[in-house]
Amino acid sequence: MATTGTNHLQAKLVLLGDMGAGKSSLVLRFVKGQFFEYQESTIGAAFLTQTVAVNDATVKFEIWDTAGQERYHSLAPMYYRGAAAAIIVYDISNLDSFARAKKWVQELLQQGNANLVMALAGNKADLSSKRKVETEEGKAYADENQLFFMETSAKTAQNVNELFYEIARKLPKAQPAQQPAGMVLTDRPTGDRFAIKSTCCA
Amino acid sequence: MALDESSKLGWVLRHGTGKGYGWFRKGAKTKLRDLYSFSLEVSEEDAAVLNDLKERVKETARVWRAIEESKGACWYSQPEISSLSDSSLVSSLSVATLANAMHLKKLIRKGIPPSFRPRVWMAVSGTVTQRSTVPDSYYSDLTEAVKDKVTAATRQIDHDLARTFPTHPWLNSPEGHRTLRQILVAYSFRDSRVGYCQGMNYVAALLLLVLKSEEDAFWMLAALLERVLYSDIYSENLYGCHIEQRVFKDLLMKKFPRLAAHLDLIQFDVSLITTEWFLCLFAKSLPTETTMRVWDVLFSEGVKVLFRVALAIFKMKEAELLSTKHVGEAISIVQDTTNRAYDPDILLKVAFEDLGAMTMYIISEHRKKQQPAVVAELEERLQRVNSPRSNRPTQVLL
Repeated sequence: MATTGTNHLQAKLVLLGDMGAGKSSLVLRFVKGQFFEYQESTIGAAFLTQTVAVNDATVKFEIWDTAGQERYHSLAPMYYRGAAAAIIVYDISNLDSFARAKKWVQELLQQGNANLVMALAGNKADLSSKRKVETEEGKAYADENQLFFMETSAKTAQNVNELFYEIARKLPKAQPAQQPAGMVLTDRPTGDRFAIKSTCCA
Repeated sequence: MALDESSKLGWVLRHGTGKGYGWFRKGAKTKLRDLYSFSLEVSEEDAAVLNDLKERVKETARVWRAIEESKGACWYSQPEISSLSDSSLVSSLSVATLANAMHLKKLIRKGIPPSFRPRVWMAVSGTVTQRSTVPDSYYSDLTEAVKDKVTAATRQIDHDLARTFPTHPWLNSPEGHRTLRQILVAYSFRDSRVGYCQGMNYVAALLLLVLKSEEDAFWMLAALLERVLYSDIYSENLYGCHIEQRVFKDLLMKKFPRLAAHLDLIQFDVSLITTEWFLCLFAKSLPTETTMRVWDVLFSEGVKVLFRVALAIFKMKEAELLSTKHVGEAISIVQDTTNRAYDPDILLKVAFEDLGAMTMYIISEHRKKQQPAVVAELEERLQRVNSPRSNRPTQVLL
């Protein structure tokens, strides 16, 4: 759950999605600005943190990047329990990964936290020649389930910061009961300057 | 006082093991390769620990060679000795054999030199015995029979080959990929109930680097999964892994009640990080030689070693962890401890000398106790995932 200080928010964020969809690559791009063609497969989950500043407040993301293999799904509740946000990732060049993403969305919708900020990310947007999932399909599914949607590429960095910043912006609004008095969170139009306050790594 | 002053100037005093202590510049990084050709970028302080370690490994090798000269080659592979860990034959053994076995156990805790590891691991883990029950051509027959087959497991293996320690020069070569693939594919057919579970790739890769033989690595992997570890750790739903995690939490609470209570207070579910330790046998968390030292004892004394090492990591940082106020802080402390555990002797000393008794019997009892809870938890999730209702509030547009 997101917890607040005076103008500082700590938010647990979990990434879910099929094996090889690019979950670790998205996190690595966001946290360290790096990309590797062959990213080590994740076992259990990897933990990384990154702090961003939006709307005069800072949000420290505590990111749980989970393993994608089917049998690891039984571990997922441990990682999404108490999460303030979730990114469900699929690979736009892989139909199975989109089907798997829908299952994750359904599981998260069942898990009882109505305030969870959820994003659907169609990753590997740079592979447009191999595209199997149309942008409209992803968008339509996201709209239907009240998620926000972006196509991303960890490789080219397209929309990666945007994805995490959009989540950061949505967080306080999703946690109205936890805003302490005196915390001013204005609802600015999107497009504020991105500012990475500090970088921390696992 | 001198220490404080010098810290300000950017120098730190390292209290060493082995070769005493020395002064190091803070923040300076050194690039080097470890004993298994993994490239590392470490602080000067850690580089010195690694250099000490190299010297100590050479010394251990001298000790093992001397023993071999006096006791004969392969003295450690007498069947009576290697069967000690998994049988109750103790009473029927001669005093001399028992003394030999105790000597071996003590030596292994101090570390098997890399050049001896292939033979000693194969002997003490029961791999030699297991292999002797099938024809010599078993492995080549198996790889030949399955070479063109495509299954869900082979597809996942192919996907992971380039993602298994991608920075290692040999593992990331076509030869490395081909060898790792053969072992994992062969195993996925040997036990189709396990098939391929992510995590096995890292274990098999390190086995290959140590044993330097594809067939030996296959048999060690088989012995690990079928004789050393509890069954079901890699099975569907990771049933065995769920049990291991609960048992570990029980043990943590029993051994360090204050720490367990504090971690509970800051909502740090330790399984968040210990799951990877148990599934990769520390291959992804500890430095390579430290992992190898854990495996030395794992093969000789059994799966309780994993619990001892995991508890030792928490024990080493107990005071720091008790002062944490937030889960992220605690996780960073634990991760930093495992990443920088370059001196295996410090970790293993805590694991074997500072934790008190912990027998296989105790662990088995905890496992029995936790089984029903794990079954219930896994079933509850399946029911929830398959239920059609959603708890998401419907947005009402006015």
